[in-house]
Amino acid sequence: MKLTSEEVNEIALESRLLLNEQELASAVRYINNFLDALDCFKELDLKDVEPFSFAEAIECPLRDDVVTPFPYTEAILHESEHVDGSYFKVPRIMEE
Amino acid sequence: MPELTFTPVIGIEIHIRLKSDSKLFCSCSTDTDAPANTNICPVCMGLPGTLPRLNHRVVEQGMLAGFALNCGIRPKSLFFRKSYFYPDLPKGHQVSQCDLPITTSGYIEVHDAEGKLKKIRVHHLHLEEDVGSLHHSASDGRLEGADTSYVDYNRSGTPLAEIVSEPDVSSSAEAVEYVMTLRRRVIYSGASEVELEKGMMRFDANVSMKCSDGRWGKKVEVKNMNSFKALERAIEYEIKRQKKIMLQGGEVKQETRHWNDAKGVTSASRTKEFYRKFIVEPDLPPLIISQEWIDRVAARMPEMPDVRANRYVNDWSIPREVADVLTDDRNLADYFEACVKAGANPVRAAHWVRTEVLRVLNENGQKISDFKMKPEVLAGLVAKVDDGKLSTTQGKEVFDYMCANGSGIDEAVKALGITEGGVAGNALADIVASVISANPDVLDEIKSGRDKKGKKLKFLQGLVMKETKGQAKPQEVAEAIAEAVK
Amino acid sequence: MELYELNLYMLTEGLKAKKFSASEIFESCKNRIDKCEDNIRALITRTDSTPQTSENPEGVLGGIPTILKDNLCTRGIRTTAASKILGDWKPPYDATAWKLLRESGAVLMGKANMDEFAMGNTCGNSAFGPTHNPNDISRVPGGSSGGSAAAVSAGYVPFSLGSDTGGSIRQPASFCGVYGLKPTYGMVSRYGLISYGSSLDQIGPFARTVRDLQLVMSVISGHDPMDSSSFRDKAHDFTHREDVSLKGKRVAVVKEFQGFGLDAPISEAMKRTLKVLEDEGAIITEVSLPVVSKYAVACYYALAMSEAHTNLERYDGVRLGYTVKDATGIKEMFERVRSYGFGAEVKARIIAGTCLTEPTRCEEYYVAATKVRTLIAQEFSRAFGETDYIIQPVTPSLPGKIGEADDDAMKGYETDLYTLPVNLAGLPGLSFFTGYAGNLPVGLQLIGRRWSDSELLDAGIILERHLGSPKIADGGQATARKKLYLEER
Repeated sequence: MKLTSEEVNEIALESRLLLNEQELASAVRYINNFLDALDCFKELDLKDVEPFSFAEAIECPLRDDVVTPFPYTEAILHESEHVDGSYFKVPRIMEE
Repeated sequence: MPELTFTPVIGIEIHIRLKSDSKLFCSCSTDTDAPANTNICPVCMGLPGTLPRLNHRVVEQGMLAGFALNCGIRPKSLFFRKSYFYPDLPKGHQVSQCDLPITTSGYIEVHDAEGKLKKIRVHHLHLEEDVGSLHHSASDGRLEGADTSYVDYNRSGTPLAEIVSEPDVSSSAEAVEYVMTLRRRVIYSGASEVELEKGMMRFDANVSMKCSDGRWGKKVEVKNMNSFKALERAIEYEIKRQKKIMLQGGEVKQETRHWNDAKGVTSASRTKEFYRKFIVEPDLPPLIISQEWIDRVAARMPEMPDVRANRYVNDWSIPREVADVLTDDRNLADYFEACVKAGANPVRAAHWVRTEVLRVLNENGQKISDFKMKPEVLAGLVAKVDDGKLSTTQGKEVFDYMCANGSGIDEAVKALGITEGGVAGNALADIVASVISANPDVLDEIKSGRDKKGKKLKFLQGLVMKETKGQAKPQEVAEAIAEAVK
Repeated sequence: MELYELNLYMLTEGLKAKKFSASEIFESCKNRIDKCEDNIRALITRTDSTPQTSENPEGVLGGIPTILKDNLCTRGIRTTAASKILGDWKPPYDATAWKLLRESGAVLMGKANMDEFAMGNTCGNSAFGPTHNPNDISRVPGGSSGGSAAAVSAGYVPFSLGSDTGGSIRQPASFCGVYGLKPTYGMVSRYGLISYGSSLDQIGPFARTVRDLQLVMSVISGHDPMDSSSFRDKAHDFTHREDVSLKGKRVAVVKEFQGFGLDAPISEAMKRTLKVLEDEGAIITEVSLPVVSKYAVACYYALAMSEAHTNLERYDGVRLGYTVKDATGIKEMFERVRSYGFGAEVKARIIAGTCLTEPTRCEEYYVAATKVRTLIAQEFSRAFGETDYIIQPVTPSLPGKIGEADDDAMKGYETDLYTLPVNLAGLPGLSFFTGYAGNLPVGLQLIGRRWSDSELLDAGIILERHLGSPKIADGGQATARKKLYLEER
């Protein structure tokens, strides 16, 4: 067992997920099986290997600094149940 | 037992809004003063399926700002995803170059407590996106005590440069000089306007204390400073707080604290900070910057303010204090140099810009870019005063008249009834003659030798000066009267 | 013959020759959907209740009905990614691939079922229930693009779009008996594709002939400035040609895969296909992919989950989709929205992805995986120095029964071994039909070099010529008749 259920629960909370007992038990099993499977990486010598970032060496394309307003901003607001006037209204932010 | 001494060890993180028309990853306007949630699109709202597109100009602004901090440019940099949940962060992660930034290290020079120059090393500058802005329902508009908050995503995705210093700062004064110098240089580079009142510059500070007995306190991150004053006060508060703890033998906790500007205190953050390793942003290939591109942008870098000020002092013998004032604003320095180029004596022109131009701008609440008088015109006026064609007082009157009426020099001189070069020679002799003939009794008195104390002569001189509107030299007036009464 | 039975090429030719009209095609397809959908459940949203008018009747796809996987954004039309968390979200924009189809005249019949956020290989991890295999409705259609494959197989539409992150086009194509192409990474714009593993995701087509895949690729491929990973420099010609040949081309099997167990019909299909290739003048050879065979599965899941958990951070209930209105704090709101909105598999992968990228484990797992990926890509590029194509199974077994789940998720993941290395290296992969084992189709996979998509389809044309094209699946009609018969008795 690499991770205890407390640790898995902590990670779940960090991801803003609440797990019931059964979900937590299955998540613990899942994660530990998964981490076991990843142990195979240790067999490889990766010291001098570059991390892969893209399938081939392509450069980030750059966009001209030109303003093009999005025509359907109303449609974006329309999709939220939290819109109040022209703002998104959210409940109390407890932290900080 | 010797008294314990403490040395503050301070590192500063600065966020500066870079100047661009459109956002970092989408084509929305960067105008954050627009009505709430109008400058938004699927990309900066983090809608499912949308992808970022990097703004070419922001990359160049990042390079310019980097040059202003004496940084090098990395030929290959990457973007990462920095995860945390907050309602103003649409994607639940911020796209940032934090782990492989666009610049290498640099430095900014400040004066230490003894007035000697010292380098504050800049670890790096990186590009990242800003978050939306929150407005809170509490009566004072602050987060504390607010039941609900309102999110405006206009700011979401606007481009930021984050500048991270090494812990080389030793006092709040150094911190303030560091950020002020840095701000001036960045503005000079054209990378940003850094308008403080618009929140375009925000500060965090890492403060720890080294004690003479060998103890070294833990690092405290102080967040949420939005002005030079706040930065200064927050650091001073934190230094005092940590010193007190260490003097009492306690241990400073490693934590994040928030500066409360209204109360003037820092308080421990209740948020648990997750220091997560960042994953590479898979939607943006590496940013590749060629040497040729670096050279092209570097060629656009203007002379930095401190270099410029040194040149004024060394080449033109302008007093240091005046040189610093002139170079504080790139446009003001440009104006001054245009005056010199138009033929004005540098020292005299510097004095005029420093006193008269700045006075008028202050009175009118204007910037140098609003100033109507062409530098060539001011150069002409300075020359006339230098040549003695106008007295200093007259020069100032002409200057004010031109500012108020937008007129040229000749028009102002005429309107003010000024005789260029002053009243002397025959013109002066004529005035003296008419004054004397209008006061025969006074002449008699002088001639009779009764004016032993020279009071009557003085009286005549006063009348003549009045008649010339002060445009005659007193010595010449005295001589002309003496001649006339012989 | 009904119009829905015609393939895409025949439909476009028939329309040109005015043998029938676009509205007749629409009606025929709609009727077919009406008839089969209760059995197959391939669609999350139907958009065929009113006749859809083509935006460009003269375009290459003028009047042709199509279906999109429900992770492709469609402006004003509900897009769910088969998740509760998106609620009734109607995107305010179109995915580029859909925009290109629309502008070429295609009309939308519906949005296809899938595994939630494309996480799965059965089409059973959907908030809208499972899709059934049209060849045998007791079996899975494969996933995650199961609905898109089933819809083409059952004759709903002549072609559809899906997405492939680790096999999600190729595996359901094989299970449902249609052709499916996972294009080279960067060939088709990902703009508007709801991300799963962004560096692995690629949109691709399903159709009942290889020629139809060519036609669809000619429309949806190409540079898109909205996608920074979209290719810029290469021109690709997907024009159909008859005079294609495999003479002298090297086709390799993977040495390390030879020992692995395969269902008999699959190994037989492999033998038959190799014979066809040899007869066509291809040189059959062998390449060695030791790192791929041993480490690809772990590498793939580590990366997919690390990217996925960050892609799914945006679902917090503030801006769109499912939400709660009575939370007393923002944290509570986020927790309730995400806990209810995501399904079990998605939650498991979010937690796994978060876990792998924690600072204490990041080097050991996430960073290690990005390095293993480099080795895998290098291994493929070496292999493609020795061969022109790689041939291998899509899966080790034929489609299983619906509801048969493995307790150990990793075992289920291992069945993706043949498909996911292709995504890790950004290669193109074609899932092609080889014949039937009973009523179940058997597919295999041909893999090419990066950007060789058009040659890959040329090879597919030859294979189809020899192995035959799939039939339209029964769509559950026989089962329905049997059930009716039993009930009547």
